[in-house]
Amino acid sequence: MSWGPCFMYYHCQACGKKFKYAADMIPVLGEKFGACPYCGGNGVFEKDGARTLDDADYPEVEE
Amino acid sequence: MAKKTIITVATTGAWPKKENNPNVPMTPQEIANDVYDCWQAGAAVAHLHMRDDEGNGTMSTEKFRETVSLLRAQHPDCDIVLNLTTSGDLNATDETRQAHLKELRPEMGSYDCGSMNWLNSSLFLNPPKFLEELGRNMQEWNVKPEIEVFDPGMIANAAYYLKKGVLKAPLHFQMCMGCANGIPGSMKNLVFMKETMDTLCPGSTWSCFGVGHCAMEMTYGAVAMGGHIRVGMEDNVMYAKGQLAESNRQLVERAARVIREFGNEPATPAEAREILGLGR
Repeated sequence: MSWGPCFMYYHCQACGKKFKYAADMIPVLGEKFGACPYCGGNGVFEKDGARTLDDADYPEVEE
Repeated sequence: MAKKTIITVATTGAWPKKENNPNVPMTPQEIANDVYDCWQAGAAVAHLHMRDDEGNGTMSTEKFRETVSLLRAQHPDCDIVLNLTTSGDLNATDETRQAHLKELRPEMGSYDCGSMNWLNSSLFLNPPKFLEELGRNMQEWNVKPEIEVFDPGMIANAAYYLKKGVLKAPLHFQMCMGCANGIPGSMKNLVFMKETMDTLCPGSTWSCFGVGHCAMEMTYGAVAMGGHIRVGMEDNVMYAKGQLAESNRQLVERAARVIREFGNEPATPAEAREILGLGR
């Protein structure tokens, strides 16, 4: 059984945009993990888990 | 003669829903049709989960029965090996996790060889009593365990159950890479998993999948290292970055291309039975 990747869902403290990171990218992205990809602001953690029903509202940050 | 590589398709899983990807097969009819499509595209084994009428994972024997019946009635030419999950609902009992195996006697069933924290949110429990009972029952019912391992410790656990007679050699492992709370998916880790398996359970066969970013790395790695591969929307609803999978068939077709480009050939179900020692 697998449930796909585990995501961490955020919104940006500065610009308010939503985004998500896959937890397995923590070792790849290091300090950048959790930051807003649009303005560089701090991400505010909202929830985590497998893909949620509103998953598409949160573009994935991969690099 | 080209080496044969088994493609397992995990069509549905317990989690992704239509909202995540509208192409995930959910109902018995959708799953039966999907399995047939994937078999035509080169899958030799189908790993199946069921969903209830609300789309949640279920271990309902009725749903398994309906799906298998539809597949056999509507597609009698399909000789794909059926591998039914024993872990499709975290709230299922030990009994409901096995009842469908006892009744339907699929050629394979999953055997998750240890407990873990699942997605950092719940417990995925496979305690000793359950694993001992399941292993002995699978031997009695002639259902080959596909031993799902999420970290090297689970391989060591399989070696223990092999020595104890709960499992019977040759074992077949499914290395589950990149799942939260399991071993991260990387080539270095896949090599370590295989070395651990070769040391503790020599003579075993193995397959591999990676969720998310490591999916293709694990596919290429497994083929290159002589393993078999699993694809499907249970593990990945995306085909590529930003691109939803159109179907499980699309994922199987890519797996078949990777295998052929490497110089191997996708195993037919008959060849998979020979490789896995099914029916012996």
